[in-house]
Amino acid sequence: MNEASLQDTAQRALALMRAQGFDEAQVTVSRTRQDELNIAHNEPSLLRSIESQRLSLIGLVDARKASTELTDLGEAALREAVAALFSDAHGAPRDEANAVSSGQQARIVQGPQESDPALLADKVRELLAFRERETPKMMLEEGVASHTLATSHTLTSGGSELSSSIGIHEMSVLGTARDGRQSSSFNYAGGACHDLAERAASEWFGIAEMLRDTEQQIHTRPVGGKFVGEVVLTPMAVDDLLAWLLGQIGDVQLIAGTSLYRDRVGQAIASPMLSLRSRFDAPGVAALSADAFVTPPVEVLREGVLMTLTPSLYGSRKTGLRHVPIAAAGWEIAAGEASRSQLVSAVPRGALVGRLSMGMPASNGDFSGVIKNSFSIDGGVVGQALSETMISGNMAQMLRDVAGVSRERLDMGALVLPWIRISGLHFS
Amino acid sequence: MNTATYRETRHHELRKSRMLMVDGNLVSNARTVEGGVSARVYEGGYWGFASTQDDGVPVERIVDKASRNAQAMARFGQRAALALPGGAYRGEHVFRGRAPLSPKDSVDRLAQLHAWCVQRYPGLKSTRFIAADEHHTKRVATSHGAEVLSSIQRALCYLTLIAEDEHGAPVEVSETVSAKGHLGDLDWSLEALAPQIDRLHDHLQAKRHGVAARGGLHTVVMAPQLAGMLAHEAMGHPCEADLVLGGAVTGGLVGQRVASDLVSMVDIAHTYEGREVMIPVYADDEGTPARDAVLIQDGMLTEFMSSRETAARLGVPATGSARAYSPGDEPLVRMRNTAILPGRDKLDDMIAGVDDGYLLMKTSNGQADSTTEFMFGISLAYEIRDGKLGRAIRDTTISGSAIKVLQSVDAVSDDMYWNCGGYCGKKQLMVVSMGGPALRARAHLGGE
Repeated sequence: MNEASLQDTAQRALALMRAQGFDEAQVTVSRTRQDELNIAHNEPSLLRSIESQRLSLIGLVDARKASTELTDLGEAALREAVAALFSDAHGAPRDEANAVSSGQQARIVQGPQESDPALLADKVRELLAFRERETPKMMLEEGVASHTLATSHTLTSGGSELSSSIGIHEMSVLGTARDGRQSSSFNYAGGACHDLAERAASEWFGIAEMLRDTEQQIHTRPVGGKFVGEVVLTPMAVDDLLAWLLGQIGDVQLIAGTSLYRDRVGQAIASPMLSLRSRFDAPGVAALSADAFVTPPVEVLREGVLMTLTPSLYGSRKTGLRHVPIAAAGWEIAAGEASRSQLVSAVPRGALVGRLSMGMPASNGDFSGVIKNSFSIDGGVVGQALSETMISGNMAQMLRDVAGVSRERLDMGALVLPWIRISGLHFS
Repeated sequence: MNTATYRETRHHELRKSRMLMVDGNLVSNARTVEGGVSARVYEGGYWGFASTQDDGVPVERIVDKASRNAQAMARFGQRAALALPGGAYRGEHVFRGRAPLSPKDSVDRLAQLHAWCVQRYPGLKSTRFIAADEHHTKRVATSHGAEVLSSIQRALCYLTLIAEDEHGAPVEVSETVSAKGHLGDLDWSLEALAPQIDRLHDHLQAKRHGVAARGGLHTVVMAPQLAGMLAHEAMGHPCEADLVLGGAVTGGLVGQRVASDLVSMVDIAHTYEGREVMIPVYADDEGTPARDAVLIQDGMLTEFMSSRETAARLGVPATGSARAYSPGDEPLVRMRNTAILPGRDKLDDMIAGVDDGYLLMKTSNGQADSTTEFMFGISLAYEIRDGKLGRAIRDTTISGSAIKVLQSVDAVSDDMYWNCGGYCGKKQLMVVSMGGPALRARAHLGGE
């Protein structure tokens, strides 16, 4: 299905929805092609090629809303889906906050538009050779090198027309290190980029460092005792903190009135060392929101001050807050001034945390979790890998207790994150 | 060079509905229908997979593409193909439940639940309800001779009540009810749920005044709602044959004691005590006849869950555990209905026998590890002092080495709780069920 065909299908669906009697409508036709080369247990195992298509319809009638998605784009299936959607919408409660976008125009073409299976194979070969040469104790349980091309065309009854063709390369590995009968925790690294050929496979997304670190995590010990200490979060662990913050400033928490930051725009909610902004042009990201708006760059934190919330159009109309469209992904935390080693050397007692394994933080930000792929820090020196060690604290407090941000950052494509030092965590 | 080939095709339709109501606002009202055909070919020691959602593409073309993908893998060098074990199931297993609920009926029920909560509990800050179901229909055919039509259906209603503590910070409790079938098969009427919501609200009030857990090793009584999560995360994942091949420590422990002799754990294929389970798998997505995998028998590690290939690599019979989540996914080793089997103790007696510990009642998400060091979130728990329940505690996390925790089990209750409300994540999502009785053990709680 080429771009013209996507456009034709979208126009046909929108016309059907208008004819059905919808007051407002949004139609997205999308198509995805993917070639994915898989590693299993240190060996190339599977080449997977998928082609998928999807028609997403959102319909409003009398301020009542419903949505549906289908993969059968034939005339009969489309007519049936539109009729069923009309019935679903009639069954929904009236809500004056329902609306679709209007007047939005964009055409985004980004990233590699063609698959190159030979390149994927080269990267898998490089990765396996690196493992065998540099980290022979690692077992790559899963590994993936892939190319994905996602094309879509969105039309709304308000005259919005958005199209995108986003190509990406992705690579990831997951595995454990083993020595005799001892195993490390599993560890993971991966991300997305426009051209895998630019670097050696192991140099992407911190893969080499992850593999080397994991080999040092076979023999572990508990942290020993309970104390209040500090952590240096690696970028993978920083992602948990970021995800919690983004949830707090999004629709569900704002509508429910349970966001800790609902009335805090313009105020300091985090350490002045923290600045967070969007990168909606990142590999694999289309600068478009799910509710069909173009997404200009957004600054969420400027030196610790909350600059904006991010309600969707619906969330905005529901809460009276300013509408701030955001893309599905694409964020970066600004680099700090300290080196990673300076962050570590400033920690009297604590841990270098590779991964937080935890339940969802509580509504108020309280959390506790097991720190995995982590090392103890004593007197500013990295020590033994840790096992059976938990930390607990509060996400909102952690944002305020940031004591250092590294100048090095890990670029995972949709996320670019530094290492962050935070004080006041309870170890047990 | 052995160039044995194996081929499977799968026609897969996945229907889902999901409604999310926040404070009476219908934030999401969505249904999806996803269909597709896939083929997977094992040739020359490599796999090729292809799928499409375009009805106009003949299945032969998809098989050919999968075969060419397998052949393309030869660029990594020739290698011997394994003889893939496992039989060939032929049969149809389609769940036929009650008449479905209309979307309007479902929305009305959500609105009724919200209105009732607002009227009955005026101090609530917020309510959040999700009603969802999904229905997988698969036709699998293999070159080994399998021909299978099967369906997996599950429905759930997720209830969350939110209040504020004395400092104005949000506090929430949740409950999931789930069943085999669609939303019409799940009893989530107000009449059915009112007693549960009342109890949930009581817990919410207790949790508003909750205290932090004391971090460290404690005696914990895990209510039946938690045992399934323990089974799934703690020992279920490390007993998946692909994780065993990947270096999980369980690989060297078959025949050894990994739990108290009170503990037996099974990944059930389709039938438990004469009744069909929530996620019945009679044949997996490789057409292998599915059988129960007895993971732990009276405390001893016995076997693993496997696909055809992982069974071949480990030299064991296939258990029929290879499943794919969506039409474009390849089958992976996945749990089905993982349970710790009930014992003979009474929950009240188990609590009464604790001088200083915790009763853990509800869980959120969890995570496994190759080391068997597991964790899962605890969203509702109470202190136990001198055999009696005390204050509620705030959200925490339980963790530990599954082997150490299961070896410390000194009581197993005689009841059994099943649910199929969650997803398992492992490259792809998967619908699974989990079950178990209450357990008393020593485990690590996060806290101050």
